[in-house]
Order: sequence, then C-alpha cells, then structure tokens
Amino acid sequence: MLVSWKYRPRNTFIQRLDPRTRFIFMVCIIFALTISDIWDYRIIFPVFAISLTLYLMARIEWKDVRRAFIYIFILVFFIVGLNGMLSGRGGPSSVTNIPSPVVFTVPFKIPWTDLGWDVAVTVSKIWFALNQMVRMLTMAMLAIPIPYTLDPNIYGTAFKRMGVSDKVSFTMDLAFRFLPTTVRDLMITMDAQRARGYEMDKLKGGLFSRIRKLAPLVIPVVMQSTVTGEEVIDAMDLRAFGTAPRTWLKELHYANRDYLMIGLGVAIFVACCILKWGFGIGGFIVPQFFTNLLVG
Amino acid sequence: MNDKSTWEFGTRQVVYGAIGAALYGGLSLLTNVIPLPAAGNITFRPAVAVLIFFGAAYGPWVGLLAGFFGNTIGDWFAGWGFYWHWSLGNGLMGMVPGLIMASIKDFKARPEIMKAVGWGTLGIAVGMLFASVMEKLTGGIDWSTAIVGYFVPAFLGNFIVTIILLPILMIAFAGVAAQRGR
Repeated sequence: MLVSWKYRPRNTFIQRLDPRTRFIFMVCIIFALTISDIWDYRIIFPVFAISLTLYLMARIEWKDVRRAFIYIFILVFFIVGLNGMLSGRGGPSSVTNIPSPVVFTVPFKIPWTDLGWDVAVTVSKIWFALNQMVRMLTMAMLAIPIPYTLDPNIYGTAFKRMGVSDKVSFTMDLAFRFLPTTVRDLMITMDAQRARGYEMDKLKGGLFSRIRKLAPLVIPVVMQSTVTGEEVIDAMDLRAFGTAPRTWLKELHYANRDYLMIGLGVAIFVACCILKWGFGIGGFIVPQFFTNLLVG
Repeated sequence: MNDKSTWEFGTRQVVYGAIGAALYGGLSLLTNVIPLPAAGNITFRPAVAVLIFFGAAYGPWVGLLAGFFGNTIGDWFAGWGFYWHWSLGNGLMGMVPGLIMASIKDFKARPEIMKAVGWGTLGIAVGMLFASVMEKLTGGIDWSTAIVGYFVPAFLGNFIVTIILLPILMIAFAGVAAQRGR
C-alpha cells in the first residue's frame, strides 16, 4: 500500500546530524527572518549563503531535485517575484512608502473596456522582489533536502523526542508516509480519467466551471482514502494503538556536531532579534549601488 | 464511518488526520502554481474543500491536524518554508467545521450540506483572518494589505472552492459510507 520516498542514505555531514537538529536549525532560521521581520539584504544574503552551503553539503544529485527546483523557481520568480515587483506587497509597507525612482511602467487594461492604468515599477519594488525571493529561497534551501536526506522511519521519533505527544507524532509520521501514496493515487486517477477523455491540462470555462471539473480527479482519490483509512484503523486497533504510552524503535542521540549546529541556529536567531530590536538594523533598505545600477 | 464523539482523540482521529494532511498537502502541491489575483503569496487551493470535508466528517481534531500538517507538508515540498501562522490558520479552517460533526446524520441531505458549507465558511473566515492578522504581526505589512491583500482573496478563493466541491464530496461520501455499512 505504501510507497517509499526517494530517500537514499548518503555519507554526508547533513545526514549524520540528528533530525531534531535539522528541524531546530530550520525553525531558528525561519524565526530569525520572520519573527524579527528581517528585510535587510546585509543580513538576508549571508544567511542565504549559510543555507546554500548546507544544501550543497547534502550532496543531492541534480536529477533528483530538478523537478522540485523548476517548480520552486516558477513559484518564487513568477508568483512571488512578479507580484512583489508589480505591487511591492507581501513585505514591509516601507517598500511602497519610500520615494524611489521609477524604472519602467507596466500598462494594465481591463479587457473589452477603456479602463486601465499604469503600474509603476520602482527601484524599491525591484529590490524588494529580489530580497523576497532570496529570503524565501533561504528557507526553501533548508526544507528541500529533508525528504531526500531524512529517513522517513525517524520522522515520528524526531517529533516525539522534541516533546510532541505520541498521537500527534504518529499523525505526522503517518502523514509523511501517506503522502507518496496519495500523490501516486492522484497520478493513477488522472491517467484513468484521461483514458476516459478527461483533459486536466485543458480545463476551460470560468472559475466555477474549472473547479467543478476538478471533481473527477479529487473525488475518487478522497473516497479511496477514506476507505483505506478504515483498513488502517482496523490494523492499528488490532495492535492496541493508543492504549499505553508508545515505544519508538529508533533511538536518537545528540552528538557534538548537533550542539554546534543548534548553537549556530540559535546564535543567528538571537543576533537577528538583537540587531532588529536593539539597534534598529534589519528593516528594508535599498542600497545605493542598486539604484545606480538601474537608473544611473 | 463516523464516530460521533466530537472531542475524542483516538486511532480514528490519528489516521484520518494523517490521511487528510496527506491529501491536503498532495493536492495543494498540484495546485500551488495557481496564484490568486491581488494576493501577496497566496495560491488557489481546491484542496481546501477536502480539508473542510475531513473536519465535518471526522471532527475538529482531524480538521486541525489535517490543516496544520497538510499545509506544512504542502509548503515544505513546494519550498515555501514553514510559516506557522498559515499552518495554524489552515488548522483552524479545518477545526471549525469539525464542531458540527456530531450533528451531521445524513451526508446527502440538503440541510446537512448547507450546514457544513456554512460552518466551513466560518472556518475559512476564522482561519484566514487569524493567518492574515498574524502575517501583519510577523511580516510587517499594514492592515489594508493584511485584509485586502491577504484575507479577502484567500477567503473568497477558499469559499468558492468550498461551495462547489464540498457538496459533491459529501454526497459521494454518503454513497461510500452506505456501501461500507459503517
């Protein structure tokens, strides 16, 4: 019933780390950038360099992550980047509040009407879009290697050892295990529906019509999953799941390298908080060299 | 297929929470590339109907776990990182319709479907408002951006998906439940 990840054991520093260390480090970096609300390229870019270094140390083959990266680049560049460049939204309000030279304008026109307006793309918006993309990639670089480098058998153990309850840990563990099955079921259903003439790539019509046309794909997969769920419940009940505290097969132990990485993550988080709230450094700024580069 | 004890947290809730999370995460992955107009980093997610269905069918814990872990999984694998407030907002979105699980007797009856859609809408409002307000607190955006740029498009997109797909899911579920006889 279950299919496995593309996880492969690799003899790398990243894989030798305790899974808790990797989660804690990732949370530290995410919190460092989001809770202290860092938008300063002098902080974002060095943290991005650390994330990129760790990603490269995972030594994941390009062929394994090619599709994921293509998808992420489309997401980051076209959704986040373009949105940020045109609207300047999704970040601090200073992006659109500070005076900034206009680089070019993009005309928008409502079809079949004379209504339209020009959206000014400023140096500030372009720099913001660039920063936002790097900021998101910084976090993505830490998240992407997880399914490729973390043994699916230790997700539950890792969450349990981080203080989460047995049942919630097992829910997370099961969710990770069900995901490949779910995606496989979606693909099989899509192929089966295509054989019946269903064209997902060519969903036409208005928004309502397009959503309704997703039903032949979504409904069979969801209903099959509810039936499968009953079988899994029976199997777990037969093994008396939840009647006593659960033991976990895998044992996790911190090593010196784990303390080093957790220390680094905590240090980055604390440094970002002190810089932002103690010294007022970390807000959105547009460097002069970038303004000179675009408008001379 | 339904244990009517609303706040029970046993094997059933663990399994359906996990399945709901996998479905929500998996379907979100497929549709994360569809942006909502005028929204910052918000995408169009037909999977929201599945999340609300799981809440209504299996209870608030299942909705909460499926929404929280499903959004986390979807965001992780899409490379967005971990945004706890959006994950928790998605969890609330599944949890609120779960509050009426015990009162739904017939999944294909029109009043029950209307009730599920209504509570699902409330869940969307609560969840997306929570996430949008938290986005303001953590992301440094202003109120108008939080409400107009995040909450309104997220709410409308999820609402439209819910009113179309949730009734279909409930009717299909009624058929499956009748066939299984449990």
